[in-house]
Amino acid sequence: MSRFRRRQALAAAAALGASALGGCAGRRRPGEISLWFSYGGKNRKVLLKLVEQFHRVQSAVRVHATFQGDYFEGLVKLRTGLFVGASPTLTHVVGEVVPYLTQAGVLEPLDGVGQAVIDDLQPALAQRGTFVGGGDRPLVALPFNRSTPVAYYNVSLFRQLGLEPPQTWAQLRQTARAATVTAGDSTTRWGFECPIDWWFWVALVGQAGGQIIEPDGTVSLGGEAGVAAIEHWQQLVHEDRTMKPPPGRDYNAWEATNNDFLAGRAAMIWTSTAFLRYFEENAEFEVATAPLPRRERHAVPTGGTFFVMPKGVSGPDREAGLTFLRWMMQPAQANAWATATGYMTVSSRGLSTLQGSGFFDTHPNDRVTLEQLAYAQPWPWAPALFRVQREAVQPRLEEAVLEHRDPRAILAQARRSIVNP
Amino acid sequence: MRAAKPWHPYALLLPTALVLGLFFIYPLLLAGYRSFFAWDLLTEPTFVGVAHYRTLIGSGELLAVALRTLSYGVVVVTFSVTFGLALAVALNRQGALYAFVRGAVFSAYIVSWVAVGLLWLWILDGEAGVLSRSLRAIGLPTADWLSDPDVALYTLAAVTVWKITGYAMVIFLAGLQDIPKSMLEAAALDGANRWRRFWHITWPLLRPTVAFVGTTSLILSFQAFDIVRVMTQGGPVKSTTVFVYAIYEQVFMNLRVGRASALTVVFFALLVGLTMVQLWAWRLGAKQRVAT
Repeated sequence: MSRFRRRQALAAAAALGASALGGCAGRRRPGEISLWFSYGGKNRKVLLKLVEQFHRVQSAVRVHATFQGDYFEGLVKLRTGLFVGASPTLTHVVGEVVPYLTQAGVLEPLDGVGQAVIDDLQPALAQRGTFVGGGDRPLVALPFNRSTPVAYYNVSLFRQLGLEPPQTWAQLRQTARAATVTAGDSTTRWGFECPIDWWFWVALVGQAGGQIIEPDGTVSLGGEAGVAAIEHWQQLVHEDRTMKPPPGRDYNAWEATNNDFLAGRAAMIWTSTAFLRYFEENAEFEVATAPLPRRERHAVPTGGTFFVMPKGVSGPDREAGLTFLRWMMQPAQANAWATATGYMTVSSRGLSTLQGSGFFDTHPNDRVTLEQLAYAQPWPWAPALFRVQREAVQPRLEEAVLEHRDPRAILAQARRSIVNP
Repeated sequence: MRAAKPWHPYALLLPTALVLGLFFIYPLLLAGYRSFFAWDLLTEPTFVGVAHYRTLIGSGELLAVALRTLSYGVVVVTFSVTFGLALAVALNRQGALYAFVRGAVFSAYIVSWVAVGLLWLWILDGEAGVLSRSLRAIGLPTADWLSDPDVALYTLAAVTVWKITGYAMVIFLAGLQDIPKSMLEAAALDGANRWRRFWHITWPLLRPTVAFVGTTSLILSFQAFDIVRVMTQGGPVKSTTVFVYAIYEQVFMNLRVGRASALTVVFFALLVGLTMVQLWAWRLGAKQRVAT
């Protein structure tokens, strides 16, 4: 290769590298914005369809939507993007991390979407006024894919066994026992399966009458309710041997639970309403939803994510981002998203439309999730919430349940761990 | 040999020094510095002194991670070296069948870790997996290979051994090719049986190769990440959270750059210590051979 050609090749390589970095930094033409998302499978297709629709109805803003892995992988990339100054115009994050990001000052206010949009948000899903300590705060997160945990059961099997979905913890143990099939030492069908995961533990704590963070900001982890929640799982796993703790951690365990349910290896599972359409379309048996059982009361946490705009997005990009969010929050889009996935519509007007159209009469599984929303408990938005989830509770739940440890000692250790730097 | 100019040796060393400095020494020094701060990449770092080290030691996390990593490493090195050597000795022959088997054994080494992890996830499922179902079919006990905290680490070690044994076998085959046939023939003529020929000729001459395979397998086992990420995500109950995964978890999942840096520093110190022990053992072995 001549010297000239070598130089050309080096220049081309340098240009390629520079353009790749430029792409990372998200420098685009005016009106072009980036959206980092974490929806896989069917939900990803629904989102991309909505983005396409947005492009059809207007031409001023173009959204470049990019998949970033699951919620936690997406969060890692957002944080890295913020650090190197290459964050997207919009992304979405789990509810638990919003107060952490807010305190870090890395979110732009979103009040610019307009009061009409804000007023239309379903109160049970919007988390308005839930910052621990209260006070006036700018709106930094807009709900979009919101869900709650719900029970799914194999209707054919339940009919065959003469079972009804359980309404109390005691009934859950009986039902799981009745639906479990063993052969020698091994279990061929589990009566119940649920990821040993923070979200479901919070549901149990709420049902036992407790809350994770008290109104004054004290991290109580539910006190005796937190203990009862772990003990309930321990009974199902060790005493009754009717609940399968799925292998894997975080969303891998969720996926294992879904697969076991679809394969008929679990008669009843707890997971997110987000999988409703997925189950309805892929199960070879009739699938029904049921509200989670109560102990002291009915209670479920909310799940899913909120749209956020990272700090530093300004000028035309900011306006373009708000235009997209405003459009996505409209009743038609909120409903299109909810009815195609299983998430709950975040628009109050959209909900009225669905109710008026008879949607919930023809979709009884969706009606269950809607009715359960009456018992939804908002997250106590304290800056410590994310650390409480990821470091204090989540890693210890497996230990407490699988190794049958003293729940009081485990939760006391979890509370102590929060004060470490 | 004398350099034409005094600066020539330094100029020749410069490219390597730059690469090492930029990608190894600088990040390591930075990790050491960051280990004294609480930092989440989002807010300003706060100086906390040795608090991260105290937390890691006080909570027992450091010791647990180190012991897990060592246990994993010991199993991987022991079995990959043993199986690799046994296969090399058994397959060190001419013929298409032997060549095919050698190729088949080595093929696992060139498959990506992620593919290997996914394949073994399917095989090792406690209920529906091929292994458990086969064992049950012939009336043998089975286990929750990846869900039992007492078993999962050794399951991962076994998968790693399966993957890297082909590599060990190829290196041992190369070592076996270097052993003069005349020595083995002479020993056979003197009446030495196969075992004595192996123990008194093959094994001593293969010791440098064993040291090489042992060292590289140990390094590889300490770098375990992909297989943990794909198969267990560090669980159940942290039983497969080895060093590199623990660092990843701290920095990427928990937003703890300082604590991850402290783990990195300790990990580096552990690797340096192990390498020194290994070099010492190697030199001691060489001295003994010279003395005899």
